[in-house]
Amino acid sequence: MKCHVPGANVKVLGRTVHALARFGDELYLESLADCILLRTLNAAESAYAMVKFNKNFFSYFNYNYYSTDDNEGLKCKISMKSALNTFKSPTHMDKQVENLEIKLDAEACKLIFQLKCKHGIVKTHYVSILDSKAMQAVYTKDSVPNRITSPQRILSEALSNFQQSDDQVTLEATEQSLVLRNYVDLNIEFTKVIRSQITLKPAEFDSYTIGEETTITFTLKEFKALLGFAEALNLPLQLHFETTGRPAVFIVHNGSTFEAHFVLATSKPDSATQATSTQNTTKAERSKRKDKSVQDSVRKKPHLETDTSKCLDEDSHLFNFIDIPEDENIPTENGNDTKLNNVRNTIDDINCVDITNNSQAMDCDNIPPSPTSKKIIKSIFKRCFESTFDPRAIQGVVLVENSDSE
Amino acid sequence: MDSGKTLCSLLKAIQFQECAVFCALPEGLKLTVDEGKCVQASAYIPSDNFTEYHVRDDVDVIFKISIAVLSECLNIFGSAEESSLKMYYRNEGSPLLLVLQPQSVHNVMTDCEISTQTADSVLELRDEDAAEVAKLVLKAPAFLGLLADLERSCDIIEIHLSPEHPNVSIVTYGMQDRSCIDVPKSSDMVQSFSCEEPVTLKYQLHHIRLIMKALALSTKVVLRCSANGLLLLQLKLEKEDQRQMFSEFYIVPLLDD
Amino acid sequence: MKFRCVMIDAGPMREFSNIVATISKLSKECVLRVTAEQLYFIVCDENNGPTPPVLWCEIPQALFFSEYQMVGLDDEHKDIYLEVISVNLAKSLVTLKSAKSLKMKLTKKQCPCITLEIESPSATSQQMRHVTHDIPVIVIPRMRWSEFNEPKIPYPDISIELPPLKQLRTTIDRMRAMASEVVIRASAEGRLTLQIRTDMAKVSTRFKGLTVEAFGGPIEHSDSETETQINEDMSRICTCRVDAKKFSLFLSADQIAHNRTVCSVVHKKLVILCLQTQENVKIQCFISGIVY
Repeated sequence: MKCHVPGANVKVLGRTVHALARFGDELYLESLADCILLRTLNAAESAYAMVKFNKNFFSYFNYNYYSTDDNEGLKCKISMKSALNTFKSPTHMDKQVENLEIKLDAEACKLIFQLKCKHGIVKTHYVSILDSKAMQAVYTKDSVPNRITSPQRILSEALSNFQQSDDQVTLEATEQSLVLRNYVDLNIEFTKVIRSQITLKPAEFDSYTIGEETTITFTLKEFKALLGFAEALNLPLQLHFETTGRPAVFIVHNGSTFEAHFVLATSKPDSATQATSTQNTTKAERSKRKDKSVQDSVRKKPHLETDTSKCLDEDSHLFNFIDIPEDENIPTENGNDTKLNNVRNTIDDINCVDITNNSQAMDCDNIPPSPTSKKIIKSIFKRCFESTFDPRAIQGVVLVENSDSE
Repeated sequence: MDSGKTLCSLLKAIQFQECAVFCALPEGLKLTVDEGKCVQASAYIPSDNFTEYHVRDDVDVIFKISIAVLSECLNIFGSAEESSLKMYYRNEGSPLLLVLQPQSVHNVMTDCEISTQTADSVLELRDEDAAEVAKLVLKAPAFLGLLADLERSCDIIEIHLSPEHPNVSIVTYGMQDRSCIDVPKSSDMVQSFSCEEPVTLKYQLHHIRLIMKALALSTKVVLRCSANGLLLLQLKLEKEDQRQMFSEFYIVPLLDD
Repeated sequence: MKFRCVMIDAGPMREFSNIVATISKLSKECVLRVTAEQLYFIVCDENNGPTPPVLWCEIPQALFFSEYQMVGLDDEHKDIYLEVISVNLAKSLVTLKSAKSLKMKLTKKQCPCITLEIESPSATSQQMRHVTHDIPVIVIPRMRWSEFNEPKIPYPDISIELPPLKQLRTTIDRMRAMASEVVIRASAEGRLTLQIRTDMAKVSTRFKGLTVEAFGGPIEHSDSETETQINEDMSRICTCRVDAKKFSLFLSADQIAHNRTVCSVVHKKLVILCLQTQENVKIQCFISGIVY
């Protein structure tokens, strides 16, 4: 994969990465024939985000730059920290950056972000690819009864009435009004917590359709992140939701170059534990899930329900060199293909084949670093320090009588 | 001195150690702090910054003082207030006396007596025999921008200087990642560049970051690398009244095993 | 027990919000005493069990509220005493500065609460926003009321006008960074001096030309703790050593629009800082002297 992002859009990409960083610790990147997808999932698996950048977002776009004979794009996972490091201050980025090139260095298993900045400065970030899989959640956004389109500032203004310490919010949607309440966990002593609520009239919104009155509760941290994203890009926010327990989808798009979906698991307002809210997550297709759970039953964590997202599994087994079938959006025979590929990938992972010839291996061209090796690297550095530090202190220093040094 | 404000911010910029060596020379005041014998930072205030400046030239006026206390005292009326400053010191062992009076309010003044200690010898990191291998003059705000963008969690910073393009290359290593910033000598932020032979220098990033506060106050920075790897950064601060103050940092390199 | 009041004027709402914010900085918890004529915020020293209040704030209700109804505990005890987490109240009242109206009432929702209903215009649309906050409170039983009586204070030796609080606070905060205690000296000649003394430094900031409201001298100085300055008549100077942090906290009250602040000193025993506003709100802070 290789693409160029023009200066003005680098800011958008930067904002995206910063918003996604409030969701998850890992960033999944996938290039398709006509777009690039960025995805992440939070640790509690109650929030998922996907941002799609269309071909026309880029000034140059080649989704499979290195493979000639195949239509396989890039699939990889990088650490969110690395991504953030590349987009340190999105606010000023459009002023400083003229062009960003993203490309894959297949040999080194690195994703290269090269920023061409003003003053002839070039910043290059070589970001390690941690894994070569795609992650995807399945959710419904189109055929839902409740849809609201909100100007970007209204909801964040409403949230400013809540306390910093509040971590969940309850949305009570009726035809007459939208009521936001801070969700109060029954486990916490309610004599200590402020209960706040704010009522918004449908007239405040650009559009307001409540087909099925409901009350949903979701996490505030991610909600604030996505509101911030909409606000930074000055775009309205669309809320698509069903009923309690079904995920709520928040959409921000500019109609042409990109579209962002933020999916938050919802729970009943009176459910007290986090477990309930994750249980209700429908991030992945259930039938697929069951398939997998049979297949991977050995690795399954006993306390998790069948619809727990696969990503946790993936992560916890990252270093076992075991691949998991990909979740495909449309489960066709394609899905079987993927599974087969993955079996191959497992082997390829170890052999690290040349990917220019074998594009199938594109998504497995690295050996995932193991936690232990990381530690070794770290301690080597540390040792460097110690050994240079000490001699320095004695040798590099000449003690001279004080004198006029100017 | 009519306003101690700039002096105070300059002191705060080098305030990474409790104590500084205060040295009053005929040319001006100089305060020096050391960080673990690896970094030495000085603030230098030429005497023309003072409306009146007298130093005895028959003895060395040098003592150790708490730089934290000194900057709190200078700032006693707050950073928003311009206050006039008088400073006195009699002789070894006597305290440094400060008298401060804000410019906007007349019914208030502050006296400070800050205790002083005999100064130990000042660390000399400079090696007169080591030749200078490279010298760069950069715009301070742009250089600060580059440093601010470096990943904080990195331990080591590598600076490559070369007569070839890209003339300046700054490399940092993260947990798994590597980042590299290239600055050609044609860049607007480079005001002058001289380097005959390619040279690679390694420093602790944490040491380099110590200059950031001073950099934020300055307009121009001169980087000098000597053959033994010692990095000297000279920063120029220009005040509204056209007078200048300076800070300089010596940073000891990391040596390869 | 009943309590219900309404505020509709921007000025008093802003002030009320500032008062509560100041109190929340001084103490985590406070007591709200509701009487027919006044609202009181009372703060006791958190660490020292039942001791006389360290902060006493009176708000005359008539100037603040457009509606004010209350029914006390019973016919004999006509007040209400509520214990409230002051930060909770302050945070909920932040938006009051731009609000159109505030309704405050005592409610029973799972537990006793002060319910605040704030109506404010939206910054982004034409609509009015209705925000409700339920802040849990504890109703203080009759037997504990005496803990919150107005403290009986000795007659101060001197009462002197304070310089602008913001300026004073900046200076105190610098001093606080160097020392934990500060000596306040007030002279009958209108001088107020703040002094700190540590191994590292001696710093003294002198304000002069301040109005002396009352002087009850002469003062007897029994020891040599206070430094004499030449040409100063010690019998006309009062001193008190206090905790710098407590002093500084009171000074954060500078955000309340005030027309008078007075510092009263009971020589070596007590410093009383008193702030009064146009609307006759009175905030008094009692900082006891530190004696070695």
